[in-house]
Amino acid sequence: MEILNLFREIANNPNDYVKTWKEENNGKVMGYFCSYTPEEILFAAGALPFRIFGTGGNISMADAHLQAYSCSLVRGALEDTLSGKLNFLDGIIFPHTCDSIQRLSDIWRLNIGFGFHMDVVLPVKLNTDSAREYMVNVLKKFKQRFEKELCCEITNENLKASVEKYNRIRTCLKKIYEIKRENPDIISSSNIYAVVKASMVMDRNVLLEKLPRVLDLLEDKKSEVKYTGKRLILAGGICNFPDIYQIIEDSGGAIVWDDTCTGSRYFEGTIDPNGDIIESIAQRYFERHVCPAKHSGLFNRGEHIVRIVKENNAQGVVFLFLKFCDPHAFDYPYIKEMLDKEGIPSMLFEMEDLLSSEGQLKTRCEAFLETL
Amino acid sequence: MTNKETVEDPEKEKRKIKSVKKMKEIMTNYYIEAKTADQTGKKIAWITSGGPVEPLIAMDVIPVYPENHGAMIGASKMGVDLCEKSEEMGYSRDLCSYARTDIACSPINGGPIGGLPKPDMLICCNNICGTVLKWYEIQARYYDVPLFILDTPFCHTEFSIEAKEYVKKQINEYLKFLEMVCDKQFDYDRMKQVGQLSLKGQRLWQAVLDTTVHQPAPMSAFDAFFHLALIVTLRGTQIVVDYYSSLLDEMRERITSGISAVHNEKHRLLWDNIPIWYRTRWLSEKFASHDACLVADTYTSAWCSSLKYINEGNFLDTMADGYTKIYLNLGVDKMAEHVIEMIDKYNANGIVMHSNRSCKPYSFGQYDILKIVKEKRDIPALVIEADMVDERSFSESQIETRIDAFMEVLKARK
Amino acid sequence: MITIGIDVGSITTKAVMMKDGAVVSAKVINTGYNAKNAGETVLEDIISEVRIKRSSIERIVATGYGRNSVPFADKTVTEITCHASGGRYLNPKIRSVIDIGGQDSKAIVMDEKGRVKDFAMNDKCAAGTGRFLEVMARALEVDLDDFGKMSLGAKNPSIISSICTVFAESEIVSLISKGEKRENIIAGIHNSTSARVVAMACRIGLTAPVMMTGGVAKNIGVVKALEKKIGHSIFVSKEAQVAGAIGAAIIAVDSI
Repeated sequence: MEILNLFREIANNPNDYVKTWKEENNGKVMGYFCSYTPEEILFAAGALPFRIFGTGGNISMADAHLQAYSCSLVRGALEDTLSGKLNFLDGIIFPHTCDSIQRLSDIWRLNIGFGFHMDVVLPVKLNTDSAREYMVNVLKKFKQRFEKELCCEITNENLKASVEKYNRIRTCLKKIYEIKRENPDIISSSNIYAVVKASMVMDRNVLLEKLPRVLDLLEDKKSEVKYTGKRLILAGGICNFPDIYQIIEDSGGAIVWDDTCTGSRYFEGTIDPNGDIIESIAQRYFERHVCPAKHSGLFNRGEHIVRIVKENNAQGVVFLFLKFCDPHAFDYPYIKEMLDKEGIPSMLFEMEDLLSSEGQLKTRCEAFLETL
Repeated sequence: MTNKETVEDPEKEKRKIKSVKKMKEIMTNYYIEAKTADQTGKKIAWITSGGPVEPLIAMDVIPVYPENHGAMIGASKMGVDLCEKSEEMGYSRDLCSYARTDIACSPINGGPIGGLPKPDMLICCNNICGTVLKWYEIQARYYDVPLFILDTPFCHTEFSIEAKEYVKKQINEYLKFLEMVCDKQFDYDRMKQVGQLSLKGQRLWQAVLDTTVHQPAPMSAFDAFFHLALIVTLRGTQIVVDYYSSLLDEMRERITSGISAVHNEKHRLLWDNIPIWYRTRWLSEKFASHDACLVADTYTSAWCSSLKYINEGNFLDTMADGYTKIYLNLGVDKMAEHVIEMIDKYNANGIVMHSNRSCKPYSFGQYDILKIVKEKRDIPALVIEADMVDERSFSESQIETRIDAFMEVLKARK
Repeated sequence: MITIGIDVGSITTKAVMMKDGAVVSAKVINTGYNAKNAGETVLEDIISEVRIKRSSIERIVATGYGRNSVPFADKTVTEITCHASGGRYLNPKIRSVIDIGGQDSKAIVMDEKGRVKDFAMNDKCAAGTGRFLEVMARALEVDLDDFGKMSLGAKNPSIISSICTVFAESEIVSLISKGEKRENIIAGIHNSTSARVVAMACRIGLTAPVMMTGGVAKNIGVVKALEKKIGHSIFVSKEAQVAGAIGAAIIAVDSI
């Protein structure tokens, strides 16, 4: 279990980890926001991509810039940077997603004096040829600008090596999910959460050494004992609430797969390392299941969630949204309707920074599982 | 009743804008035509307020604006019922109230005009927000009609070459989409005329808005909120040109005869964000009671903000710029520059911002805009927390106190 | 010359009588259901206490959320202007006022002459107001008057993240059930309240020296939490609760 402790430690204190990393490696740390950040390009330049989650809790400085109806990710991230918690960043990358992140980028650019700032305005449509062409152009320009900022050259070899490593990382993460799906008992979801979260912040080369060890550990523990609890799918945006997994597991359920930005959307799909790599990176985004802030057909998100429920033999879906997250809240009624039609029960949790009213959450969770 | 009419305040009568009647007629006819389109064989397209309407006009398609619908729902105070209805449908209370109320109207033919006419197609341009994308997806599922998305990349600091190419290509895709849905060739000659009429209409609307540069202002932003409907809904037609020409005449006439929107105008204010539709009259009277006139706003002028980018002789080719570089699709610092320009142009001595729960892209960043504005211009600001349609987010006593206090600050400065 | 300022707040109604530029008497009563009655009652109270004739009062100014339900007032002025002017009376050096009342909280910045330069008020919800503290005190079964002192002994203030009164209350209930120390929870509540208020004050650029007015100024826990957050000491007058009414009485003098 030692290996898991390492991940837990990093997931609990990503900032401390990165500060140490920076001192030891004299490297550059690039903050980023969502799974539409072309991390592979950052990593190819030798930089450390560092995902920002927003620590939550006492917000005060961010409220001087943002109204109370902004989500906890946006408020929390701004609070962290304004209060100096993210001073180790050498730069920040904002891929275009929702209206809130878009304005956060502006506010960040105007108020944060350190590091460089880059908007990666990707297309919103991910299902047309012109959008694909545009995305490739944006990524190419991003690479050029990044090279200029870091005074380095990202060669094709660098890119290829980076993409291959990312493919391996993603494959490992997916395997961990697959083992969990077969044997929900052998690793808790909060441990999986720690592994995935740490994977988004830690030195990717070190990560590549450590991830197979997690797999080994799990392979050893595999058993034929059938899981008797309730199998659930988690759907939503960013999940930064390890406690919720505990609550679900304590109530007799297990998350056997997810559709979240900090879960399957992060690791699904590999990138073809041959040919034009930038085009291959774009290709992965076009094939991957979309975030609701993007468009790729009218039913594809709903169909995808129904499909993963079936494929994973799940009995129900837990929607976990950040309060004030528009894209997810708009999609919820139609996806729920699709699930209802299939006879799949679901439950919605709307969250703000920290787990509020834990008691209520527990009761709701237990009651939901009782109905399955 | 007749007695009551005869004792109407002549002062107030004099201040009323006469064109209002004509405008109401035009809008009524427009909605009648749209609602009877199935009899005339014309097609209906629902389109976002910032969307490229000119090609629709050129194709003889009737454009219908769900956002205008939202505003009507708000103004007729039907917002709360419909918001609640949408919440029953599973939509969160925190979502845009235009979207929520419009979505709630569809299955019940609800709202002030018994629901919008059914669309044959949906045209969604995300230059105003990401919300419209989700909203139009929902309506495309509900009505099962084709959806065209014009994706206009956000201009934080620039409108890049690749983004421009992307938008240009999509405009061609848009024309092909229209040819397919309408099953006829796109009429490029007609498009030229429509483009010219659109620009003419925009120039006239800007000219109407600019009459408030005169002190005292012949109209206020509250009047602009009303007269705006035409530039949004019928842009590209002769009707708009004719109407705004006569409205402009009336405004000039008011200036000559010394008729102002607010009696004894002493304070000139700038409004930011979408109106609080269910309280425009209350707010207008409240400010007027303090001798304050909202002389300009960032909202109604947004429909002419692309004027400088569009080339009259080459409308289609320059549309990409015109539709991408609109106010809401720009970074906060650019927005602040625009606000400062307006303060100077209209000689405003105060700014009133509506922090609108429904509209994140318009509201997030307002505090930073204020910070920039205050650094460059020494004027006080007021922030009102509310919502454009959902009255449950409006607290009269709190807002009244804020306005009164703000006016005390302004008066103390004079 | 005698003037009276009446501040009709959501929880309490305050009256202050001024004679020749000095406060001679102050009264605080509960507002209750009928704001109109409260104004009348507090006026009668103060008149009978100082034993003067009503006709000798030269001018009455009403302020507070119920200012428009004081029919006998000669003038109404918002609590923003009144708290600024009352604050300056209590301490002529101050440049900012933080006022936390029952249903709202505000931050006011003044220029050198004491004129209001800018102000901000809380959102529609109750977070960061006296009412919020009242609800929390009830949930913790602590007398509101002891609330402030109790928090000073806290070693590890709890984190109260929710900004909604209802959710914050259930957060507190779950903290209690976890066995969290009461003083830590209270300190957490004070931190959360002051964080909301400081955020609001930051928007308008709070300038030192800062004074706190309003009923919550009596809560030492909130004052200390605010001081920590803004990095300045805060001036609290004994008359903090009636600062708005003092301001109204001063404005009454000026308006003659």
